[in-house]
Amino acid sequence: MNWQVFAQSLLFGIFVGGLYGLAAVGLSLVFGVMKMLNVAHGELLMLGGYATFWFFSLYHIDPFLSLLPSAFILFLIGMGLYKGLFSPLAKLHEEVKIKNSLLIGFGLSLVFHNLAIRLWTADERSVSVLYSGWGFSLFGLRFPFIRFSGLVLATIVILALHQFLTKTYFGKSIRATTENWESAALMGINIEKTSMISFALGATLAAMAGTIVSVGYAIHPAMGLEWTLKALIVVVLAGLGNIGGAFAAGVLLGAVESVSTLFVGPYMEVVGLVLFLLVLELRPQGLFGKSIG
Amino acid sequence: MLEIEKINVSYGDLQALWDISLKVGEKEIVALIGPNGAGKTTTLKTITGLLRPFGGEIKFLGIVMEKMAIHKRVEIGISLVPEGRGLFPGMTVLENLEMGAFTAKGRSCKDETLEQVFELFPILKNRKKQAAGTLSGGEQQMLAIGRGLMSKPKLLLFDEPSWGLSPLLSKVIYEVIGQINSSGVTILLIEQNVRIALELANRAYVVENGRIVNQGNSRNMLNDQHIREAYLGTESV
Amino acid sequence: MVEEEELFSQRKILFLSIVIAVFLALVPLLTKRNDLINILILIFLYICLAQSWNILGGYAGQVSLGHAAFFGLGAITTRFLWVWGYPFFLAFLIGGVVAVFFALIIGHPALRLKGIYFAIGTLGLGQILKITIGNVLPTVADLPGDYIATYNLIPRYYLFLILAGITVAAVYWISHSKLGLGMVAVREDEEAAKASGVNTFRQKMIALVISTFFAGLAGGAFAFYHVSYYHDLPFSPTWTFDALLITFVGGVGTIVGPVVGAFFYAIFKELFVRTFPQLHVFIFGVLFIVVVLLLPGGLVEMAGRIRRLLTAKKAATST
Repeated sequence: MNWQVFAQSLLFGIFVGGLYGLAAVGLSLVFGVMKMLNVAHGELLMLGGYATFWFFSLYHIDPFLSLLPSAFILFLIGMGLYKGLFSPLAKLHEEVKIKNSLLIGFGLSLVFHNLAIRLWTADERSVSVLYSGWGFSLFGLRFPFIRFSGLVLATIVILALHQFLTKTYFGKSIRATTENWESAALMGINIEKTSMISFALGATLAAMAGTIVSVGYAIHPAMGLEWTLKALIVVVLAGLGNIGGAFAAGVLLGAVESVSTLFVGPYMEVVGLVLFLLVLELRPQGLFGKSIG
Repeated sequence: MLEIEKINVSYGDLQALWDISLKVGEKEIVALIGPNGAGKTTTLKTITGLLRPFGGEIKFLGIVMEKMAIHKRVEIGISLVPEGRGLFPGMTVLENLEMGAFTAKGRSCKDETLEQVFELFPILKNRKKQAAGTLSGGEQQMLAIGRGLMSKPKLLLFDEPSWGLSPLLSKVIYEVIGQINSSGVTILLIEQNVRIALELANRAYVVENGRIVNQGNSRNMLNDQHIREAYLGTESV
Repeated sequence: MVEEEELFSQRKILFLSIVIAVFLALVPLLTKRNDLINILILIFLYICLAQSWNILGGYAGQVSLGHAAFFGLGAITTRFLWVWGYPFFLAFLIGGVVAVFFALIIGHPALRLKGIYFAIGTLGLGQILKITIGNVLPTVADLPGDYIATYNLIPRYYLFLILAGITVAAVYWISHSKLGLGMVAVREDEEAAKASGVNTFRQKMIALVISTFFAGLAGGAFAFYHVSYYHDLPFSPTWTFDALLITFVGGVGTIVGPVVGAFFYAIFKELFVRTFPQLHVFIFGVLFIVVVLLLPGGLVEMAGRIRRLLTAKKAATST
């Protein structure tokens, strides 16, 4: 095995890792604000992908153009889901709240999974555009246009999110709620509204990742669980509630997974689980997190 | 300004307050004193909305408040400097203060209020960009108070402002509280250090086991036999 | 736990259970209809699957989202050992042990932390095992010719019946034992339990071992029952969904809940298999969400409420 195969594999891993990171950041944001984990996050990503697919196959709209409308649709869906399913749990005691949110998300993922099969059949779908096969070469490595753009897009979105969280009042109020919700409420911050918008934002980020997946990879109704799991592992790797680190950890996971295919072939999924268990055993607060008291 | 009439509060099945009634008049400084776990913090939490009472009434400026959402109470002029500061540790000093000014009223005169806070606590101005979690205990308390002022409150609540501070620092903080009161803000505070509280306050209520057992002018209370024995006897720090 | 005592007195329950057990034991002698026997097997399988989850999730309060992993591990272990010529019961028990082994790998780091890590860990294990098995063994698990020639449904029926009975009995025993009290204490308030001297980690681990052992046995029975299936089928998250849906809709943390849930789940599945194959999942999925948000005790709680309503009405009208 020469360095070129290794580097190419690493590169592909980074491309998909950017999407892992994008999905994980959304999940981390939701957890930070609401202290609930939405295990249907992957299904929201899937819906984003299918929305793009619909825009393309029904109206011939290019996926990069339908990115924002798809994301907006998922924003609205996110608000509705929060209001209907997660808001009632907000008042509960921490452990019960987390447990029930896991269950609700779980039930939700089931419903969405079934819905997807009904609406789009169990077949794999992909959006094929004119430029699907395009790419360029750099240093002897291949950069497929769509997957590369996916990484670029993910980076841009994360940077935009960072600006939002650090420069706008509402964004700062989200960070404040993440750090201490009681004090945040005492500042006059409407916790219910903040939670709803955060959840909707999380759905939006997932949807954007889903759009890239539908164009650069493939979508199918059972993909929700796979992506939820990736996002969950990344969130734990970075440290629960660490929004910034989630993107980096996502890229890391993608890279490690991809490279390990070269060594362990069909057992590459196990790598993610092993990393997860190692972090739990040795550094539960995550690679970037503060020590758990 | 603040009227509390016979409220009862529980944590789940555990009742913590029984028929608490108290009044805070405009421009007053009122203190709630009593032993640990007596229900003083519970009372403040109920005023701010973190807890809801059953039975009884809370009125602020004539507005009935028991069912009002927490953020709404801030908007009508109540602000709390929480026990243990309750800062946002990962955010800077400046960001913490900005969060204090989150309400529309606070934002409209944010820059002006910031200047006033920096005048009151010059050391915070030097540490503007520092993360709140890295400040010393005294600086954190100053930040918490400054943050509480940013919403331009009419009633400012303090939960144990001298907690974890040296006697010298406590004195400084209490001087500041006095200054804040002089500028027109009504104060209701909880304090373990009874002497320092009674020396500043106009009136005080004594809370024991979830009930008000004594109240009155703080000068009288300082001289009261029972209070001297129970709370002022051992002057250890 | 007390609610159920209200619904049924202990002696009545024991008597009723024995009657039902005897009746079920006699079924294969009373009928030659394979479809009836097969649906009963499905019900027994679901009972075992759900009750095993109930022990860990209902009584000890630790939500596992990867129950299928243990089911699958039991299935794959039993299948291979049995097909390679080892005596079935040995293969069967080893299947359970292998499931427990993997459970401990996740449980040891995860159960010392907050519940969320265990949920994620089990979710991960289930998913990753499914994908990996699907990659490494994408073929169908076939039975050798002579195994097929000697295939008899009746012993398999009794295996499932006994397994279902044992898991229900295990739940009953746990709920009336000191062990069960410890588990419930952990479930209700882990911090308080720790403070009163309960070794919460140990309680959780014990529940984990019992739960996953039975899940593994259920998988082993599955492997014994099906002539051919894809190797990764018993690892499918569907089995996890089934366990949770049945347990919650029936009544999580109760003895009878998962039994009732299993019964209806299997019946619904068969009823709609030709018209709407996944309808039972959709219905239970929606009911599941309703239960979590509004009716935590599931059907058992609902039955209890109706009973109290009727007794109250009776008392009111008789005065």
